[in-house]
Amino acid sequence: MNPASDKFLADIGNHDVEVRYAAWRAAGSEDPEVIAPLGKLMGADDPGVRNAATQALKTIVDSVGKQPVGEKRAAVIQQFIALTANGHPAWVRTIALRDLSLIGGDETVPAAAKLLTDADLQEEAVFCLERIPGDASIAALIAAYPHVGDSFKPRVLAAFGHRRAAQAVDLCVAAMASSNLDIAIAGMKAAGRIGIKPSGEIKLPDYKSLSDWQKTEYDDSLLRYADSVHDIHIYRAFLERPEEHLQCAAIIGLAKIHTPEAVSLISPKLKSPNRTVRITAQKALA
Amino acid sequence: MRRNKKTSRRTFLSRTAAATAGVYAFDIIPGSVFAQPAPSDRINFGHIGIGGRGTGFLRPESGGPTKPSPNLGGFGERTLRPDRSVALCDADSTHLDKAATRVGGHPKLYKDFRLLLEDKDVDAVFIATPDHWHALMAVMACEAGKDVYVEKPACLTVEEGQAMVAAAERYGRVVQVGSQGRSQPAAYHACAYIQNGQIGTVRKVTCWHYASPAGDWTPDSTPPSALDYDMWLGPERYIPYNEKHTHRNFRWLLDFGGGQIRDRGAHIMSIAQWIMNADNQGPISIDGRGEPPHDGMYDTAVIMNVTYEFKNPDWTLVWAQPGQPSAELKAPYGAIYWGDKGHLTVTYGDGQGTDTEPQAKEYQIPSGGVHPFRSPGNGENFEDCIKSRETPVMNVAAGVRVAYLCILGNLSFALRRKFEWDPVSLRVLNDDEADRLLSRPGRGIWNL
Repeated sequence: MNPASDKFLADIGNHDVEVRYAAWRAAGSEDPEVIAPLGKLMGADDPGVRNAATQALKTIVDSVGKQPVGEKRAAVIQQFIALTANGHPAWVRTIALRDLSLIGGDETVPAAAKLLTDADLQEEAVFCLERIPGDASIAALIAAYPHVGDSFKPRVLAAFGHRRAAQAVDLCVAAMASSNLDIAIAGMKAAGRIGIKPSGEIKLPDYKSLSDWQKTEYDDSLLRYADSVHDIHIYRAFLERPEEHLQCAAIIGLAKIHTPEAVSLISPKLKSPNRTVRITAQKALA
Repeated sequence: MRRNKKTSRRTFLSRTAAATAGVYAFDIIPGSVFAQPAPSDRINFGHIGIGGRGTGFLRPESGGPTKPSPNLGGFGERTLRPDRSVALCDADSTHLDKAATRVGGHPKLYKDFRLLLEDKDVDAVFIATPDHWHALMAVMACEAGKDVYVEKPACLTVEEGQAMVAAAERYGRVVQVGSQGRSQPAAYHACAYIQNGQIGTVRKVTCWHYASPAGDWTPDSTPPSALDYDMWLGPERYIPYNEKHTHRNFRWLLDFGGGQIRDRGAHIMSIAQWIMNADNQGPISIDGRGEPPHDGMYDTAVIMNVTYEFKNPDWTLVWAQPGQPSAELKAPYGAIYWGDKGHLTVTYGDGQGTDTEPQAKEYQIPSGGVHPFRSPGNGENFEDCIKSRETPVMNVAAGVRVAYLCILGNLSFALRRKFEWDPVSLRVLNDDEADRLLSRPGRGIWNL
């Protein structure tokens, strides 16, 4: 530890608020070697010291956050990866994963992926991986999916949907066939968000078996998928549904396709007994 | 919806008026002219988040039509329709109990908002939760077919804003954001005055606001039994329960409430965006500087100065804590519009205290002049649009644009660097970390 680092860490642990403040505000210029001791200071008795250490870590992250590459950034990332390891308190590992989500790249993926089956940290691990751009983070989530418990599978599927991960679409479609309806609907939601045609056959969850909210998610997922691939058959089916907003969604989706067939499907809705549906059709055809 | 199954007397009158005047009757005739609307013509509201701000939207069963809150704006020429609060939801059952007593009758009570959204008796919802829930609940409400009044700021991230706009568009839902300043008479007068060139071309708008609190060191504790803390956190990252972080105190955490700029800024900058005709414009650069608390539980800016540069047309917006208050009107916060022929102050921007200078209030728009939309009140306008399916004054697209200003200002402040912004693609240019912070993965089952 160089003398400047020692001085910095002493300032972070100082009883004087202003000394601590000045130290953590300037932490971006410190050597990355201070990161591990800052992790220890996060466990200090004094809440002001804990806070100063946490803020200092964030300041260091921000100082290397702008450029996606760089020698110091690489060194900082390695120090944070070390903080995610077993032996550090769960809260320190949590903060490390959150900080890594902002600067981590492919080098971070193995450390975060290892925690996807850790009951205490899997939520933070998927959060971290979800934010790390590139294929490696998605590949790690795909690889981990069979090994996580059923209760966590929907969270991983949500990450695929959020990332619009095309390479995970077949996995999501397979999940739709699960007898566990939470997994099946999560798979459907993710596939709907990804919005590309899968390579295999789609087996939709049994609608009648779903809860009311799951039915809402089922409908929304189909509509998102239809919006992405301009599937006129899905819109046609929704036009026949009694719910006003589903008819509106079908009309709005068809209007974007704007083919003669789409127009012919919308036109009868100009005479709908539902005023909102009529207005939506009028706007769509205007 | 049920209310469209029959032609009520009110609907008949509305249609007759529409046929003769070319507008819907409820836009021009005070509600008191009509008899009480048939039950099938009333809008049934569900309320999600009823601990603080949300109580102002409740419609008590007794006492007839009332304005839920005077600071929702309007010129006082209209009263709200006698619609009903039929369902209430809050993660804290003490809030539920109080709100149920206030409403009277027999509203349905929920602790899980998804059950309220499934409720077919609910036509539209008011969302007045802490900020970190706004976007996801609004999106889910649209998916469930509800029209939405969502409190400001509309969203916590840019990605959330995009999802809100997409959901409203996908389902053709009416979404009004609770930046009610645009419905305040003073803002209307200022807008008319400035848009008709009375202070010349405006190239700069400067906001001022007092500082945020720093907070003490209150120990974390066990959540009270009445509060479903996991539901309260929802999509936000887990932090231990602390009474000084929860309910109204969420405001002083960057990840949850974002401080004054996301609270009052969402009002003051909403009016600025409106007056500057910038609902479809965004800044090209954001430079936020300032100081967080030196100690204590909170991390939102105490002192802050954010400069937003806009192009085509070129103008600058400055958010400042404390900034330079107006010399013309005394108020704890507001904005000054600097034209090449003069300047004008609009104070507050969120409530009853909203005011502007006499020359604007007395100004008469000349024939052929610019007539800004004259809102009957943010709540009234929302109700009108539920019926007409028109776009409300503080529509979701405009609302998220205002939220983006708040979000980007905080982001630049937190990262302590200026960045370039593409207002079309909605991306930060040449800043990897800032760009990652435009979205936020959800937590558990709560994902966009």
